[in-house]
Amino acid sequence: MFEYAVFFFFAAVAVIFALVVVLHRNPVVGALSLVVSFFALAVMYVLLDAPFLAALQVIVYAGAIMVLFLFVIMLLNLQHMSEPATRPIQQFLGYTTSAAFGIGLVYYLLKYAVFTALPSGPFHTEASAIGVALFESYVFPFEMVSILLLAAIVGALLLSARSVAPREVAP
Amino acid sequence: MIPTHYFLILSAILFAIGVCGVLTRRNGITIFMSIELMVNAVNLTFLAYARQFHQLHGLIFVFFVMAIAAAEAAVGLAIFISLFHHRETIDVDEANLMHW
Amino acid sequence: MPFDPTDITLSIVKIAIVLGALLNVTPIMVWVERRGSALIQDRPGPNRVGPFGLLQSFADALKFILKEDIVPQTANKFLYTIAPAIGLLPALTTIAVVPWGREFVLHDIHFFGRTFFTTARLFNPIVADLNVGLLVVFALASLSVYGIVVAGWSSNNKYSLFGGIRASAQMISYELALTLAAVSALLAAGSLRLTDVVWRQTGYFVLFDTIKIPAWNCFSPAMWLSMIIFFVSGFAETNRLPFDFAEAEAELVAGYHTEYSSMKFALFFMGEYMAMTTMSALVTTLFLGGWDIPWYNEPATFVGFLLSALAFVVKVSALLFVFVWVRWTIPRLKYDILMRLGWKVFLPLAVLNIVFVAFFILKGWI
Repeated sequence: MFEYAVFFFFAAVAVIFALVVVLHRNPVVGALSLVVSFFALAVMYVLLDAPFLAALQVIVYAGAIMVLFLFVIMLLNLQHMSEPATRPIQQFLGYTTSAAFGIGLVYYLLKYAVFTALPSGPFHTEASAIGVALFESYVFPFEMVSILLLAAIVGALLLSARSVAPREVAP
Repeated sequence: MIPTHYFLILSAILFAIGVCGVLTRRNGITIFMSIELMVNAVNLTFLAYARQFHQLHGLIFVFFVMAIAAAEAAVGLAIFISLFHHRETIDVDEANLMHW
Repeated sequence: MPFDPTDITLSIVKIAIVLGALLNVTPIMVWVERRGSALIQDRPGPNRVGPFGLLQSFADALKFILKEDIVPQTANKFLYTIAPAIGLLPALTTIAVVPWGREFVLHDIHFFGRTFFTTARLFNPIVADLNVGLLVVFALASLSVYGIVVAGWSSNNKYSLFGGIRASAQMISYELALTLAAVSALLAAGSLRLTDVVWRQTGYFVLFDTIKIPAWNCFSPAMWLSMIIFFVSGFAETNRLPFDFAEAEAELVAGYHTEYSSMKFALFFMGEYMAMTTMSALVTTLFLGGWDIPWYNEPATFVGFLLSALAFVVKVSALLFVFVWVRWTIPRLKYDILMRLGWKVFLPLAVLNIVFVAFFILKGWI
């Protein structure tokens, strides 16, 4: 019973702050609302017997990626730029398409994806179980992800560096 | 124990909100944030199914998705910064040099 | 009822003890800071208010409460008001997973003459004994960036913004070194749970078959480097000298809390001292043996618990004094040297140290 209360409260928080992200004009408010939404999702992960991933969600998403977003917004001073209003036809089509998509998805989930019973026994999701799986079955993707992160670092550095003109030396 | 379809429906709602953000907004940063929201909705689906079938593979996949989403956010923001330096606007409709 | 009322009451008591201790650290630390700095700088320090200036903290608190609260007109009011609260959150919540005493068997509770008999239960003095305790510590530490970023941005002041951005860049850089240095303590314990980390340090290293050294992680040579890296990164995480470029008195006016006055500034102040206490508690748990009293096997009774809690408090206090000592001894690092130290020195050393510790564990020397 207590679990249901926690689930509904944090589900409401996640959905409401996701709506704030999508609808508010100011990107800083959007970024901070997304942090709250990610935190609520981390609570969902705990409810799904995955505390390791909940902590990782907070560390990676709320603690690192959103800080990166906030840095970019604040350093480029983007909150003062107003985006022009979307054309009404695009707004109408966008809202109706996403609403139809969402409603259709929920309907089909309710029709086909209602599971009755969970398998018995505990679900082992401790760090040791995940570590064993990562280093035994998934060792190749694990190593490839490290190379991918290196590529991302190099790419981000190259793309965001401004070309510096050589300074004029005074005669 | 909360039934799995509750989590799946929450994930569907979050995904639809993300889709709405990508389709409706013109601010590049907001579009990025909506994409991150969609990725998180998918993470939630993976974990819901992992718990339903007691498979660790769902968790490992979410682990990799998080790492890749971090890399994608870094590179995407770098692209956005260089676009911003070039065009001095955050409106993604202005990035139309290849438009006919 | 699915919940046991005695368990709930005991949890509330634990939360009250931990919160009470953490919230009351600030006045004590203010006094220690001011008298300690005076001692180091060879001057008397505050000695007017009460004997030895002990009531100085109350005078300061009164001043903060009675000062006028100025909110800049162009500041984002909502974010400006909640930024100090966001800064306090990580410090207050991280202490929930730190074990501060030995667990003992609780038989019956005597309270004001009445005796409540409970079934004998194990009282574990830790608010939340999570399986992934150490990761939760890092998760909450990574949220401490937000207080500074939001405070710096919402003040609508360039100096605040620069101070905020510099401070958050510094904090996220040193978080990596902090995490990797803590991994070595985690490797030795074999578990992310902080009670396991402390239990693993309650044994002894036997040298030459006669000398027994307590098996604290700080006495094991493989962990010296990681303890130094963790402690120094702790300075960077809490924005204390020599890494306090965010506040940078006399340079950036006051950095990210330039525009804050009275109670909101006091909240930032409190947040800094609470973060110091939490960081000291973490260093104690991971490297100094937590609540373990050296060369003494604490029994699982109330007296044993009290002695172990006292040992924990002594260790945390010693580390807090080291924080104050370093502040008034070492000059501030320049920002590019600070960032270079974090990325090019601490991070590679922490990674190499993990390999080193893993080698030691493989050989069975730890």
